[in-house]
Amino acid sequence: MKVVAAVILGVLISVAGVLVGAWWAPFVVGLVFGIVEPRARVAIPAGAFVGLLGWALPLAAAQIRVGLAPTAQSLAAIMGFGHEAAIPIVLTCVVGLLLGLTGAWLGSAGRSFLQPAISR
Amino acid sequence: MPSALNALAAAISSAAVLYAAFFGAGPLPALGTAFNPATGAWTMAADAVISSETLHLAGLQQPVRVTLEQDGTSHIVAQTDHDLFLATGYVHARFRLFQMDLLRRQGEGRLSEVVGKAALDSDRFQLQLGLVRTAQFEWSALAPDNRSRLALVAYAQGVNDRIAQVEADHQLPAMFTLLGYQPKPWTPIDSLIVKGDMTYTLDFSDTPLVMALLDKSLGPELTAQWFPILPPNPQSPYDPGPYPGQPTVAPIAAMAQVTDAEATAAADVYQRLAALPPGMGTTGGASNNWAVAGGKSASGGALLAGDPHLHLTLPSIWFQLTMDSPGYHVSGVSFPGTPVVAIGHNQHIAWSETNGQNQATFFYEEKEDSAHPNQYFWNGSWQTYKSVSYDIPVLGGSTEHLTVKLSVHGPVITERGQTTSVWWAGNIPSQDLDVLLGVDQASDFQGFRTALRDWHAPSQNFVYADDKGNIGLISAGYYPQIAGGQPWLPMPGTGEYDVTGTIPYDNIPQAYDPPGGVVWSANQRQVTADYPYYIGTASNFFNPGYRANEIHRVLSQAGKLSAADMMALQTDTRDYLASEIVPILLQAIPNSPSKDLLTNWDYRMEINSPAATIWWTFWQSYLAATFDRYWHSRDVTVARSEVNGALGQDLEAWTLGDPTNSVFTYGGSSHTASDVMQIAFTSTVSTLTKQFGADPNTWTWGKVHQRVIENLAQVSGLNYGPRPDRGDANTPLAAPGFPSSEGPSWRMVVDWGAGTFQAIYPGGQSENPASPWYANRVDTWFNGQYAAMLTADAATSASGSKTWSLQP
Repeated sequence: MKVVAAVILGVLISVAGVLVGAWWAPFVVGLVFGIVEPRARVAIPAGAFVGLLGWALPLAAAQIRVGLAPTAQSLAAIMGFGHEAAIPIVLTCVVGLLLGLTGAWLGSAGRSFLQPAISR
Repeated sequence: MPSALNALAAAISSAAVLYAAFFGAGPLPALGTAFNPATGAWTMAADAVISSETLHLAGLQQPVRVTLEQDGTSHIVAQTDHDLFLATGYVHARFRLFQMDLLRRQGEGRLSEVVGKAALDSDRFQLQLGLVRTAQFEWSALAPDNRSRLALVAYAQGVNDRIAQVEADHQLPAMFTLLGYQPKPWTPIDSLIVKGDMTYTLDFSDTPLVMALLDKSLGPELTAQWFPILPPNPQSPYDPGPYPGQPTVAPIAAMAQVTDAEATAAADVYQRLAALPPGMGTTGGASNNWAVAGGKSASGGALLAGDPHLHLTLPSIWFQLTMDSPGYHVSGVSFPGTPVVAIGHNQHIAWSETNGQNQATFFYEEKEDSAHPNQYFWNGSWQTYKSVSYDIPVLGGSTEHLTVKLSVHGPVITERGQTTSVWWAGNIPSQDLDVLLGVDQASDFQGFRTALRDWHAPSQNFVYADDKGNIGLISAGYYPQIAGGQPWLPMPGTGEYDVTGTIPYDNIPQAYDPPGGVVWSANQRQVTADYPYYIGTASNFFNPGYRANEIHRVLSQAGKLSAADMMALQTDTRDYLASEIVPILLQAIPNSPSKDLLTNWDYRMEINSPAATIWWTFWQSYLAATFDRYWHSRDVTVARSEVNGALGQDLEAWTLGDPTNSVFTYGGSSHTASDVMQIAFTSTVSTLTKQFGADPNTWTWGKVHQRVIENLAQVSGLNYGPRPDRGDANTPLAAPGFPSSEGPSWRMVVDWGAGTFQAIYPGGQSENPASPWYANRVDTWFNGQYAAMLTADAATSASGSKTWSLQP
């Protein structure tokens, strides 16, 4: 239950950060997850999930509010992918996911690397 | 995994992801800022949605109403002139901020800062040429209470209001986020630089360098014969005289011999200009405009038609708006970055422009001596070059340092072979924006003509029609006159051949209510051989005249003309040159299915016409059969295609009136135009058969000729087209190139009798590719249709309109 609450809080913080331009917020949230949560198998997926939602939710909101199809097509064209609208959408979600995942992984790895020294 | 190894892998992965997010990777932009779903490039989705809203703008004196029609046309109604210009700046920036930034960067030589080395040549050249220096001088010359100064200051405030707004809301236009930079504040000088960009596009020419290269390789004799001052072919000047004084422009008796050093200098600049990235170099400009007096109009009121031909881009170079305030009631198109309507109408007059084409660029060879370092000899003494230094920041590279030397003639443009400087009319301070404000406010021809008196560059044919049935045409601009020498080549810079002044305003080409009831311009030479001033060579500065001839032919026919006739002529595809040559060709060639197609052809370059394809291919073959052996045998360093317009005039003239000219003689035996036409036609049929098969009926023009409207940022996926299109380089509906990317950038038809104002441009008001206003007008334009230019009041009550209430 604590994990679920933490994830929800993490998503909220990430979304809030993303909305004001702090795109790196999911990385920081993931980092904190990794450091706080002793189980890497929980912290890392949770961080990735927070990163994915942290970026995907604002995107979904924009889709509901104004529609994203022409924008996605335009971005695909700018990136040289013709009008394959799915590509920028997937890329955006992947960036969010990677930020959360690497943040959590780094936090978790750092924790396990430093823990023996701390416990000594 | 051991914890140390795990930590190392996590650190490397995190670093890689963060690096890509902060700085990008390869062709990818900084992924974090660029793809942030709330503040990155995705903001173009919200930007594309326009709704009625209330906005607070710093600097406004009173509330302003902006009405946006369903197609994006903007109507600004302000209670003070200051607010009108401020709101114009805001509206321009709201829809075209990235375009405006690109335009100012192009002129100020700062493109490399955001796009990298690819733009360095353009930046170096622009800084050498001096648009920034001219803009700064123009700004400093404006009195504190000058109307254009006040307009520029208010306009800049409006642009900066928009920049502040998007920064505060984290809603920077997508291209800024993708390129990873923020727009710096807009200044009045930036507007003058944008104006300078257009002057450069329309007015700068390397033709004397081309002539020098032709002289060196083709030889002075043939260069003089084939590239004369006066046109060899029949033309239709709109100002037939009488002129003040006697004719003084003599044919080129003997072309000066170009030296190796001069040719080296010419080749250096010529090649540098040719290597400029697409869209960043001079593209020249063509256009049509004409007016019909009330007495010859079906409605009884004067008619006016204008279609400036420019590089067609998305977003367009134009932004359509109406501007209403106590001092201004004007409707038409403006250049984003400038606070004026450049082409349009007010309550009493309408106007449009075509390029004047007179020679505005002169190259001077500076005399130097090793005993006088950093000096040049001028007017009997040694002068020290002035110099100015620039730093050019380069994205992904080190900052370039550039020092520009300045002689009395202008900037030194090359020091290879022969130190050469350039005198360019575009470097003369020209308060064009102030002039256009005067035109915007003029209510009769006197006011219009007075306003244009101070227009220097680019020289433009301003056509005029008013609500009293009057028409006129003034080729306003600076017409440099030199003391002597051969201005069509680089000239000695020792003082004897300097520019001494311009043609007096009263003597420049112009017409007002001529007896025929029509005036027209299409970049042709405006005057006859009797005109007593040198204004440029026929073939290299002026258009060959086919569009002008066709327009004149149609307008001169008996009967009354209507607005519908004006629209039909703007979209007419009749090739005047074909109408002259094809009848002669038919006499020269044997019967064949291809000949049958030409026999029944109406000379229109329509998509479904196979005859159009046969004609165009034939004409290219005829040029090649006549001139290529000269090019090959003399190793001419200028591409023949670059001077086809000039050679075409010669070939036309010989075919029509001198078919036994010695140019057709080769292989030791005498040939005539008819012989060469047969050879060219045989080649044409062979080429088209190979390309499209044996049936000539399938050789339709649309298979050969297409039109593309290019994205300004050169993102090909955001282009419109290419798609088959009609017209060619010589038709009133201009469509030069394969695919054609230039042509009528705005079509406007005014009928003062009926009170109708109609227009269209191929693009949309928004630079945002996700916006419904990105390319919404293109299909209408392709179909030859127009939209009504509404008044602000009519727009407010039109269905689908949105309103912005701008509050102080």
